[in-house]
Amino acid sequence: MHAEAHPAGVHPEPTSFLRRYIFSTDHKVIAKQFLWAGLVFLAVGGSLAMMIRWQWAFPGRPVPLFGMFLSRSGGVITPATYQSIFTMHGLIMIFFAITPVMIGCFGNFTIPLMIGAQDMAFPKLNMLSFWTFVISLILITASFFVQLGTAAAGWTTYAPLSTQIGTPGAGQTLVVAAIFVTGAATIMGAINYVTTVIRLRSPGMTYMRMPLTVWGLWLTAILNVLFVPVLGAAALLLFLDRVFGTQFFIAGAAGVKGGGDPILFQHLFWIFGHPEVYILILPAWGFISDIIPFFARKPAYWYRGSVFAMVAVTVLSAVVYGHHMFLTGMNPLLGKGFMTLTLIISIPAEILFLNWLHTLWKGSNRFPSPMLFALGTVFVFGLGGLTGLYLGTIATDLYLHDTMWVVGHFHLTMAAAAFLGSFAAIYFWFPKMFGRRMNEGLAKLHFWTSAVFITLVFCGQLVAGYAGQQRRLYDPYQYTFLSHLLPLNRWTSYFAFALGISQFVFVYNFLSSLVAGEKAEQNPWQVGTLEWTLCPSPPPHYNYATPPVVIRGPHEFANPDVIKALGRDWIGQTEPMPKVAAAAIKPAAGGAKD
Amino acid sequence: MGEVLPYRPPRAREETTAFLGMVVFLGSWAMMFAALFFAYGFVRTRSVAWPPPDLPGLPWETPAINTLVLAASSAAIQYGLRVIRQGASPKLGRALLLTVLLGAVFLALQVSVWTRLYVEGLRPETGGAYGSVFWGLTCFHALHVLVGLIGVGLLTRRAFAGAFSAAKYLPVRLWALYWHFVGAVWALMFVLVFLL
Repeated sequence: MHAEAHPAGVHPEPTSFLRRYIFSTDHKVIAKQFLWAGLVFLAVGGSLAMMIRWQWAFPGRPVPLFGMFLSRSGGVITPATYQSIFTMHGLIMIFFAITPVMIGCFGNFTIPLMIGAQDMAFPKLNMLSFWTFVISLILITASFFVQLGTAAAGWTTYAPLSTQIGTPGAGQTLVVAAIFVTGAATIMGAINYVTTVIRLRSPGMTYMRMPLTVWGLWLTAILNVLFVPVLGAAALLLFLDRVFGTQFFIAGAAGVKGGGDPILFQHLFWIFGHPEVYILILPAWGFISDIIPFFARKPAYWYRGSVFAMVAVTVLSAVVYGHHMFLTGMNPLLGKGFMTLTLIISIPAEILFLNWLHTLWKGSNRFPSPMLFALGTVFVFGLGGLTGLYLGTIATDLYLHDTMWVVGHFHLTMAAAAFLGSFAAIYFWFPKMFGRRMNEGLAKLHFWTSAVFITLVFCGQLVAGYAGQQRRLYDPYQYTFLSHLLPLNRWTSYFAFALGISQFVFVYNFLSSLVAGEKAEQNPWQVGTLEWTLCPSPPPHYNYATPPVVIRGPHEFANPDVIKALGRDWIGQTEPMPKVAAAAIKPAAGGAKD
Repeated sequence: MGEVLPYRPPRAREETTAFLGMVVFLGSWAMMFAALFFAYGFVRTRSVAWPPPDLPGLPWETPAINTLVLAASSAAIQYGLRVIRQGASPKLGRALLLTVLLGAVFLALQVSVWTRLYVEGLRPETGGAYGSVFWGLTCFHALHVLVGLIGVGLLTRRAFAGAFSAAKYLPVRLWALYWHFVGAVWALMFVLVFLL
């Protein structure tokens, strides 16, 4: 093969609508497709959350607005429907909202741009990943319209509730299939991310010069590659149990010849499930680890420490899954081992936390919307992390297990932190993605309402849990010892409704900025990473005309030499240090070229 | 601003990238099989009798032959890889054809094992955990053999059409890796499920 302008296998920018916007192999277009899909399903999952909160505030009363979907019961949530609602809320939020927005969208958008690549390593596989994801969306949507309704075994899909015995409808089968298919889509994407970071970094972009966003997403991809297949195996066996009558998870009276073991499902699920909670937070850690130094106008404090901490969390996340199963008759010695490993995770998490705080310390902090969302993420993640200590410790977990405390804890980390972290990324990269600015005033309004209400909602759940309210109760007030919690739950619900309503600020801001936002300049945030310094907004097809040659890390701020020579407080990752200043003040400052 | 054109790294570098992608994929798939073996170990260690007294035991003879068949077919595709590095395209075609044929023999023998056990009364829905493991694991693995057969079969056609040369044989490399993986999983399954 010869080196031509368009060598075989690489095609020029497509011009037809279908190739350009629908079946595109361009990572930026695929990122936007994931963003749209994720935001739509975020709205669906959010609506389901509103219905749960309605049930807990006004049990048995017809649901306003969403009641029209419940025509058979006159708008009232029945116990069976309630099961489906909380199940699908969890599944949709995790697999069809957070995953596509954080990993599908920002993984696709930022990785090639931030490491100086023209596209992913396997663009066609990338396209296939999105369209496989669409198949799973179709399956999950279809599950709502079959007899007996959609899945109702909880987002964890525990057997035997999730087998034919507990949920005989076709809806649960469709959902199990959807989990398998979306897992396949995730693995395809993750193979791409892992390979792209290893192979397509531009010259000089060493691992220790990568933006922390890329580190977070790369480690996420590694976890996805290793542990989503385990979920795939669990879904596969469950599917076989449901469709072909095998007995992997069926025991007791329904088991033939002794049957299998429902606890097996919990093992498989949590071998995947615990890495999964870090899969959902590592990208957010990456985003905010970059955004905080960007707006503190200071180099990230102990960059290597943050990298080390993220790697350590990634490794540890693989060996702590047993803490979800302290109450399943686990050997106490094994339980203690899992407890110790679990609590060890707080050390790297603290390193990250302290690095963020140290970066802010004496920074020239600015507070545009991405920074606010990043700080909000730090706050809710801190709360979530602290409340997790009580669950990782066996002595306290015995009492808090399966209460609303658990719900509050994992919503603060996985929901609130992932939610605010995603919005930090959306507000930060929106100008680069769409070439327009979002309205800053509305963005700040969105931040303050979201951050305040989301904290109140999940703290309300923590309090209810501490008072003994079990999670997933259809009507908690049927129990006399919980009936006094109605006012607390009602207030929590009001905050949840306020949180839901305040998202319309975002919807309006997002849509109106798309069509009529102020045009974005190339580098509105004045930062030094490749996508802002070398690409126009939005970047062209293939991003870079020549491979960028990187000479320094991503957070070069407030360098006195640069301020003296260039009159600004930042310098790009590829920009040579101005010669005069470099020679006059300190040689080789910040990895200068000469 | 001028049009941004794709720059491409040298071919060898691109091939290494593709190979790495395949390795990552197979690593991922290995985790899925690892999870399936974990499931097997979990239910087996908790079972009272394996196999249950009124169910037929698993044969080891045919699966042992099958292990050899897959090993031979892995050797065949590896031989094909070696000859295409020296540019012998027709030899590659014959090696790939042998790979496919041996793969088909494997599936045929698997079908014979399945029918025999089915007739003897080992069925997925009445075999308990024992039957579930046998049917679930062997069928899922056979599906991978089938995918390999289709893939290598298409490769064979291209090889006979002269599509590969000493400088250009990446798909053969990737499929060979996949085929070795499927064989290795089978070898493990033979030891863990049929022999133990």
